[in-house]
Amino acid sequence: MSVPSRLAFCTASAAALIAVLSGCSASATAAAASDGATTAPSRAASAGSGPALVVYSAQGYDDPVTKAFTAATGIPVKLVDDSTGPLLTKVAAEKNNPQWGLLWVDGDTAFAALDKQGQLLPYTPATTLNAAGVALTPSDHSYVPVSTTVMAALVYNGAKTSTVPTSYQDLLSSTYAGQVGMNDPAQSGPTYPFIAGLMNQLGGQTDGVAAGEDYLKKLKSNGLHVFPTNGDTLHALETGQITYALIQSSAAAGEIAKVPATATFAPKVAYLPKATLLPGVIGIDKGAPPAVQDEAKKFVDFVLSPAGQAAMQAGDPHGDSLYWPVVPGVTALSDLPAMPAYQKIDPYFWGPLENQVNTFFDSTIK
Amino acid sequence: MVTVAPPLRTGTDVLGTSRLGAARLVLSRARGGPWLVFWIVIVAILVLPILLFLLVAVSPRVLGQGDAWFTLGAFRQVLTGSLARGAVDSLGVGVTAGVLATGLGAAVAWAVVRTDVVGRRWWAGSMFALLLAPSYLVALGWERLLEPAGILDLLGVPDAAPRALLYGPVGVVVVLTMKGVPFAYLALSGALRGLGEEFEVAARVHGGGRAAAARIVAALVAPACWSAFAIVFAESVSDFGVAATLANDAHFPVATFTLYQAIDSFPVQFPQAAAVGWVLMAMAGLALVAQTRALRGRSYRVLGGRSRPARRHHLAPPAQVVVVGVLAALVTVGLGVPTVGAVAASLVDGLGSLVGDHRLTLANYGRVLQSPALRSPLLYSAELAAITATVTAVLGVVAARMLSTRGGRVSGKVLDLLLLTAVALPGIVFAAGYIFTYNLPVVNHLGIHLYGTTGLLVLGYLATALPSTSRVLLGNVSQVQESLREAGRVHGSGMLASWLRTVLPLLARPILAAWVLTFAGTLLELPVSQLLYPPGHAPVSVGITKALANYDFGGGTAMEVVAILVALAVVALVWGLFRLLAPVGWHRIGGGAS
Repeated sequence: MSVPSRLAFCTASAAALIAVLSGCSASATAAAASDGATTAPSRAASAGSGPALVVYSAQGYDDPVTKAFTAATGIPVKLVDDSTGPLLTKVAAEKNNPQWGLLWVDGDTAFAALDKQGQLLPYTPATTLNAAGVALTPSDHSYVPVSTTVMAALVYNGAKTSTVPTSYQDLLSSTYAGQVGMNDPAQSGPTYPFIAGLMNQLGGQTDGVAAGEDYLKKLKSNGLHVFPTNGDTLHALETGQITYALIQSSAAAGEIAKVPATATFAPKVAYLPKATLLPGVIGIDKGAPPAVQDEAKKFVDFVLSPAGQAAMQAGDPHGDSLYWPVVPGVTALSDLPAMPAYQKIDPYFWGPLENQVNTFFDSTIK
Repeated sequence: MVTVAPPLRTGTDVLGTSRLGAARLVLSRARGGPWLVFWIVIVAILVLPILLFLLVAVSPRVLGQGDAWFTLGAFRQVLTGSLARGAVDSLGVGVTAGVLATGLGAAVAWAVVRTDVVGRRWWAGSMFALLLAPSYLVALGWERLLEPAGILDLLGVPDAAPRALLYGPVGVVVVLTMKGVPFAYLALSGALRGLGEEFEVAARVHGGGRAAAARIVAALVAPACWSAFAIVFAESVSDFGVAATLANDAHFPVATFTLYQAIDSFPVQFPQAAAVGWVLMAMAGLALVAQTRALRGRSYRVLGGRSRPARRHHLAPPAQVVVVGVLAALVTVGLGVPTVGAVAASLVDGLGSLVGDHRLTLANYGRVLQSPALRSPLLYSAELAAITATVTAVLGVVAARMLSTRGGRVSGKVLDLLLLTAVALPGIVFAAGYIFTYNLPVVNHLGIHLYGTTGLLVLGYLATALPSTSRVLLGNVSQVQESLREAGRVHGSGMLASWLRTVLPLLARPILAAWVLTFAGTLLELPVSQLLYPPGHAPVSVGITKALANYDFGGGTAMEVVAILVALAVVALVWGLFRLLAPVGWHRIGGGAS
């Protein structure tokens, strides 16, 4: 077979293969439409005429919230619901050709990085935010905080101990030797903001990294246990491997709400001053088509509306719904205590240090 | 070769003859067509995604992952610190698991194929069951058994010493060896079955003892042994399930997990991950070099029209007890413990914690069976797994045939390196490579919009399944003598017909085994699913991971158990249909796993 013939054959075969796969894709799309999970009947027919709003979200309540949004506005949403890590991996891999219209995860350091790369569309919603919300809003409005948790909550087994520390320095005493556990910042999204907050508190932006590293070394010398994520650290608390767990406030409140106290295990929570704000944040893709950007803005407005907040609080009552609202007039769920004394760290300063700090943690503390 | 003298041509049939010539030309061109299609598929699903992913290590700017057009900075990081330690750990774990699994797989294959050990079918079936269990499930099963407040603690059994062993290199090697044994068994049982006993008998007839006969058998199954070692090695260094659970909990870094951490934590560092990918690829290359040097210039084609099943060695009662005991221990370690661990976690209230009263309950199953998070994703995953398994079985046979071509064509060698490289790279590499490749603006401008579709997800599954499936089939395919098919052609059959009549009966069972293996592996595949699933169509593995991430261990484990039961039901159905519908001779000749 001559070279031109081979090329022609290759091209034809590739075209056939792609045609077959495109047919497969089309059927999947049709199936998705017929599934009707997030597609309003009124817009289903027009879904093929333009790009739809694709939401990348790691929130436990995202499915009911997107459905409520579609029901309220008629705008169909394609939801990609996963953990924060895989979603940020997708966003990074798609950098040359983003497929997401709206990203919704906990923590603002990733959004600060996306903002620096020019990937976010600034948007200022009409809703006025409370003090925490205002503190969390960046000056260029490149992303929008829509809720907040804090990092860390100290969960302890009240059936095993009544001794409760009142400061982070207390955890370095012999009373707590070998009793404290925390998450690995390389595997647990909320944990780097916690460490950055510690550093910020101990030495500010000038000396914080050195002071924080010194503190973590002392904590390790005192028998600190490191587990992958919130769930694993809670598991260690439940199995008696540790007595005190430093985890995200929503996970702590969920544990206390879910688990009835017994003679051997009675989870309780304390907050050491100061807890670091960990907001739930929404960002809009700057490169998305204008129509999609408009839909994304409507989505943000809906999430900040009473109906959106109600859907958020009802969607995952023992998990991510346990947040402190940033919208005035919305009350936190009853399983949450009053908001503790908090600090807000600058994600534009601390975000770029994440790799350096995580490498230190991996090589020295873990 | 039979030739027929051409009839004399007249002036009127010259035109017809020229048409005939043109038709023959088209046919001869079309004959090379399937190979071209095969290579197009290989380039599309393996070469391009892998190349683009690896390219990021030296030129991150090409894909927008950094500022440098050319840099070796990522390699400098990989060769120092925890990344370097991960690579060394992976090499040690891979070699150890490869050697142990090949030895154990050979022993099991010998017992099942060549002896009358009690419960042969059961032992063969248990190998399949072990193959179906994802490695992370096996690791978690062991953890549920030995963790504080785990099953042994609940039973009051002292377990401090085995716990210390489990949470470390020993535990990692044990679990990966157990996961490797079925691969080795599949490769070696087929080879032993196809070998017959003519060669042993010939050795004995010419005065050779048992040792001489054993040496001959060992030499003849060498391709299968090396194939088994290479695949277990590559599977072990690329395994993510054990790396993310047992190795991670034990703070024992391995290369795949360092790669995963580079990709999955913020800031995402594709260049470092790609550099680890290069290291894994180099490890696969080492295994391939060892295999090639060991087998160079020899022929192992022993499976032909005269092959007869070997007689089984009779085991005396004491030998029966020993062999059954060893097999039972093996299956218990590899399958029994994880099964008990996984099932117990879904059936015991609050297992592994001070929470709950540790009573037996079906609440988790009741919950997940009614949940929309299980049913629809499970059906979707099963559908995709069936498609993937079917395409993989076909392409796997083609690939294995190319690999087994004696004399070593360049294309075969390239394919060999490519497939083993692909086995050694974790699924997340393919997933990221697929995004890089099929989400390129230039690809979209060409009218190709595969990213975010079921089609690309299937291609991703195909890419992860084809390499290991091809290598599992290699042992069987390399034994089929070419003369069988040639004889069919001489007797008037076309290419396809002669293959169907002479080769398919010999390979039917291994092909079916490959189908089942791929189906089960794809049903619960996670890394590719997680990054490539189309919006609104989460596969079942993503749902399970989400349940576990939300601290719903009972529900997540129950979903896993249900998914594995579905996989087992499909396996049973497929094998049942084969026994019912396939000609009797197909059951007896050639390789197979049961």
